[in-house]
Amino acid sequence: MKIVVCVKQVPEVTNVQVNPVTGTLIREGVKSILNPFCEYALDHAVRLKKAYPDIEIIAITMGPPQARDVLLRSLELGADQAFLVCGREFAGADTWATALTLASAIRFAVPDFNLIFVGKQAIDGDTAQVGPEIAEILTLPQITYGVEAELVNNLRQIQVKCEIERGYEVIEAGLPALVTFSKGEVVRRVPTLKELIDSRSKPIHIVTPQNLAIPEGELGLKGSFTQVVKVFPPQEKKNGEVIQNVDAEVAARRIADFLEERKFI
Amino acid sequence: MHEIYSLSTYAISPDSVKCIQGYETIKAEYSAYLTDESKINSTPFDYLYFPRNEEELAAVIKDLHARKIPLTIAGARTGLVGGCVPQGGALVSLELFDAVEALYQNPFSGEWLLRVQTGVSLKTLDGMLRMKKFSNLEVSQDEFIQTELERFKNDQASYFYPPDPTEMSASLGGSVVTNASGARTYRYGPTRAWVRGIRVFLANGEYLDIPRGKYFASPAGRFTVYDTKGKSYSFTIPNYPLPRTKSTSGIFTAPQMDLIDLFIGSEGIFGIVTRVDVALMKREDKISIVQFVDSDEQAIDLTIALRDNPNLQMDFLEFYSTNALNLLRERQQREPSAVGMPMLPEDAKSAIFFEMSFDPRAEKMDFSELEKTIIQCGASIERSWIGYESRELDRFKVFRHLIPETVNEIIAERKKTYPGLHKLGTDLAVPDEHLRDMWKLYRDGCTKGNFEWLAFGHIGNNHLHINILPRDLKDQENGLDLYAAFAKKAVEFGGAVSAEHGVGKIKGKFFKLMYSDEQIDQMRQVKNALDPDGILNPGDIFGN
Amino acid sequence: MLIINYEDCTGCKLCVNNCPFGALMYEDGRVQVSELCTLCGACANVCRKNAIHIERKQASTEELSRYKGVFVWVELEERDDRMEPRKVAYELLGKGRALADKLGQELIAIVIGDEKASGYEALGQFGADRVILCQHELLADYSTDGFANVMCALIAQKKPAVVLYGATPHGRDFAPRVAARLKLGLTADCTGLDIDADGQLVQTRPAFGGNIMASIITPYSRPQTSTVRPNVFAALKPDPDRKVVIENFPVTLKKAAIRTRVVERKYFDSDGQESIEDARVIVAGGRGCQKAANLELLREVAGKLGGVLAGTRAIVEQGWIPHTLQVGQSGTTVGPDLYIAVGISGAIQHIVGMSTSKTIIAINKDPDAPIFKTADLGIVGDGLEILPILSRMIESKK
Repeated sequence: MKIVVCVKQVPEVTNVQVNPVTGTLIREGVKSILNPFCEYALDHAVRLKKAYPDIEIIAITMGPPQARDVLLRSLELGADQAFLVCGREFAGADTWATALTLASAIRFAVPDFNLIFVGKQAIDGDTAQVGPEIAEILTLPQITYGVEAELVNNLRQIQVKCEIERGYEVIEAGLPALVTFSKGEVVRRVPTLKELIDSRSKPIHIVTPQNLAIPEGELGLKGSFTQVVKVFPPQEKKNGEVIQNVDAEVAARRIADFLEERKFI
Repeated sequence: MHEIYSLSTYAISPDSVKCIQGYETIKAEYSAYLTDESKINSTPFDYLYFPRNEEELAAVIKDLHARKIPLTIAGARTGLVGGCVPQGGALVSLELFDAVEALYQNPFSGEWLLRVQTGVSLKTLDGMLRMKKFSNLEVSQDEFIQTELERFKNDQASYFYPPDPTEMSASLGGSVVTNASGARTYRYGPTRAWVRGIRVFLANGEYLDIPRGKYFASPAGRFTVYDTKGKSYSFTIPNYPLPRTKSTSGIFTAPQMDLIDLFIGSEGIFGIVTRVDVALMKREDKISIVQFVDSDEQAIDLTIALRDNPNLQMDFLEFYSTNALNLLRERQQREPSAVGMPMLPEDAKSAIFFEMSFDPRAEKMDFSELEKTIIQCGASIERSWIGYESRELDRFKVFRHLIPETVNEIIAERKKTYPGLHKLGTDLAVPDEHLRDMWKLYRDGCTKGNFEWLAFGHIGNNHLHINILPRDLKDQENGLDLYAAFAKKAVEFGGAVSAEHGVGKIKGKFFKLMYSDEQIDQMRQVKNALDPDGILNPGDIFGN
Repeated sequence: MLIINYEDCTGCKLCVNNCPFGALMYEDGRVQVSELCTLCGACANVCRKNAIHIERKQASTEELSRYKGVFVWVELEERDDRMEPRKVAYELLGKGRALADKLGQELIAIVIGDEKASGYEALGQFGADRVILCQHELLADYSTDGFANVMCALIAQKKPAVVLYGATPHGRDFAPRVAARLKLGLTADCTGLDIDADGQLVQTRPAFGGNIMASIITPYSRPQTSTVRPNVFAALKPDPDRKVVIENFPVTLKKAAIRTRVVERKYFDSDGQESIEDARVIVAGGRGCQKAANLELLREVAGKLGGVLAGTRAIVEQGWIPHTLQVGQSGTTVGPDLYIAVGISGAIQHIVGMSTSKTIIAINKDPDAPIFKTADLGIVGDGLEILPILSRMIESKK
């Protein structure tokens, strides 16, 4: 059985700062990491592999050459081989063009896949669109917001426990299918020294635009339906009152008075 | 040369300095200032000062000196030996000394240096270097500062300040006067190795600017200080050999030593350091490895093998005993998310934790030397954890700190029943050849005494923290006796009674194990010369 | 296409330094563009010599003008034994009304469900001109295939100019499928929607975890589609005199077309606590609360103010509260009248989830915590000490 895991390299957004004058990102000191939700998706695949050792896990990413780092990380964390979909023509893609590229790459690289696992969203874009769009292009049933997955019915179906606003749902779909994942109970894996050493002998293949049967006008920026026309820093709200160096009693009184003034009490 | 001139700041009135008066007020509104992490009690004191700059500090020192009121200095109050816990008199907090004054490159050595006031915490310092943002430097009007800042930012490399004591919220000043060490001291040396200059205020309110490499003791071992009033005073440096290990036990001394080294590690008894020039190091990519082994003894074998292998260079080499890992396991089972790591493997008994340089993108990755060494000790690379991304390294760090944190939590719980209880920890280091002997002593002593104990620490420097968790006060007393026996043996082996915490107000007993009365007297001579009225940090090192 | 006029360019490199994507470099004596360029326009904005222009592909206005109308997908939720419109649907109708007015077109509410669907007649009072009812027994439960098929059929027939969905788990599940099938642009989690001078829908949303805002258009495909988080826009005050037309849309669905099955559903025992999305008062905790047991203090204060407990992603991942109480970019967006943040530093990913709260109080030990920039009242102090006292004071003031 083959599980394809789509992964993405993203900036570690918690550290990102915005230049307050120009509204653009300050790139110094910002590290690139494997998108946390992609890591969880990979982890769910590795768990299935532990239960069914014949499963092969293939990691795939669309990105510039440095995206290779997240493929190395995926191999350390348990993927068996990896594909880097790379080429100038792919750059500037919105979620549709990305989904089209990845779907085509999966058809090319792993035509006999059984499952596609992706993270629920990337922490830089936060759209949560690429997964469902890939599923649509490949005409697969989809299950989103998964936190636990199990193969049932003689490996013909997958049952996924999903987070919904008021609790959980368990959804079942027949293979092949696409599932997007959130954290759930995943404790982020730590590779062993042996896994690190072994990862470096696992293959990383390159997929170029020439490998994919997509006309050039449908790739990258040219193939995108949405366009960014402006970027600016988020508005900083009212500068309210900040009280320092008072003890707890005084602070509590100030809050209580404030609440009373504004009629919350 | 061995002569130095002290200088004076612009004189102002001490009345303009923020001062909280009266012990009752201090106790009620500034209770955090009553003690440090040692949690010992202060003797009631009536003055708490917050000088904002050197003029204010000098005014306070002169005023207190004239009124014969002793003063104790506080930084971030994270010390473990009561260094900043006053015994009456006044407490002077340097927390407002938080300016970065300059960033510059030594044109000869190419070393980048940062001149910073001592109230800045190590954590803040690290943050500034990571982000290459130095708040007040950015807005400086000085052209030289702006040019150097620009060059530093354009430098592709990232820089850091190597000393890494566990408690990074400590102030730079505190770390300098204790000569603090951390895990990385194994490779990079203690704070002393990274301080290139200091400004220190003396008991008379005047200050010395001491760059490293300028003032040396005369062949007879003397220094002379001339003050602005034309007075001079001299002293002779002590003459005893230093232990062949990490040591923060007493005054540094060496033939024709650099004057700067007298103040580093002196715990504030000779003067008050207000600013430091620290050297920075280029950041390299590292890999952290936790290697699980079958026993404490196997861990020691692995340590020695790694240490002795000339083809391997570790940045740090740390140890977790079987009892320590068991404590972590229990915690993991209770609160898995607090630990933030996968479950400790069942068959992992002890662990060695080390870090080395590593390039994750290297074409060829060659761990064969390391693999060989590990296998030869009987361990397996399949029972290990590795990480190299900075957030993974941080995660490993958090994991390491869980042991002392968990111990503290357990003690806090027990304190509710026995208010006088506290954890017992050793801070002893011995020379390399005595690592095995010392371990045997710890293990046999704690087992025979039937204590609840665990061990962890900087095994690369033969500096282990043996923690006993007393179950009641009798247990605690017995533990303290055992520790005295440990300290005695450590000294016999040529080691130090305080490897990184300092002497402060609580290690005086052990201090006397290391030095003869005559040697202690030599240290006192220096104190008497620099602070004849004994007003600076009374009670530290010498006791009363 | 990014076009640089090298005659006007002075080589000041302001554009190079301000590109959020690192796509500009200064090489061989001139500014060069790499394939990382997304035509966002930051460089053109910052160029003092107006030397940078952006050329965009245009679709014919004739083609685009065939699409008319603003669709709002009205998600239903279970209330007693009926399925009724969710609060976010009313909010979208409120915004939809403004967009429809500006375009001079109809605002149409789309209701997808089975015969249990109810409450849609009132949608007219909240701004809808028409309600299109798509009912079929296979649509009793939400399913990706069921809802996507219906919406695609509807769009293909009715040709709306704009389609809006609530960015709820279900909305975010099927909106991209519709967009992919019909080759449409879709913008997620919009916090701003407007019509520009060219009649384009300008969609504004946070990116990079909320550190930056981006304005987006979908110039050459129709309809333009967007998802919008709950508690971002406001519903209109209901106008009881507003008339609405109810239209039935015939749905053909085969059982085999729906390829997923709900095996089990479990709602958390909310202890009678209302959902954080609807709450008017929220007391939220972050890592600064130190341990799960301390959240009791927050619950107590919340209770006294008639509100609910919520928290940050950090404490959800620690297991102190379930994901249903998570506020933030990867959780729920809330918009209460009062939000009290305790021990929360205010990382942008959290702020994005609560910034529309009317009144914000923040308590944190760190004076530099970013949360203080959004707070109406900020206290630098220990929440764990302050809350018990506050609780007593609220009690005595009541």
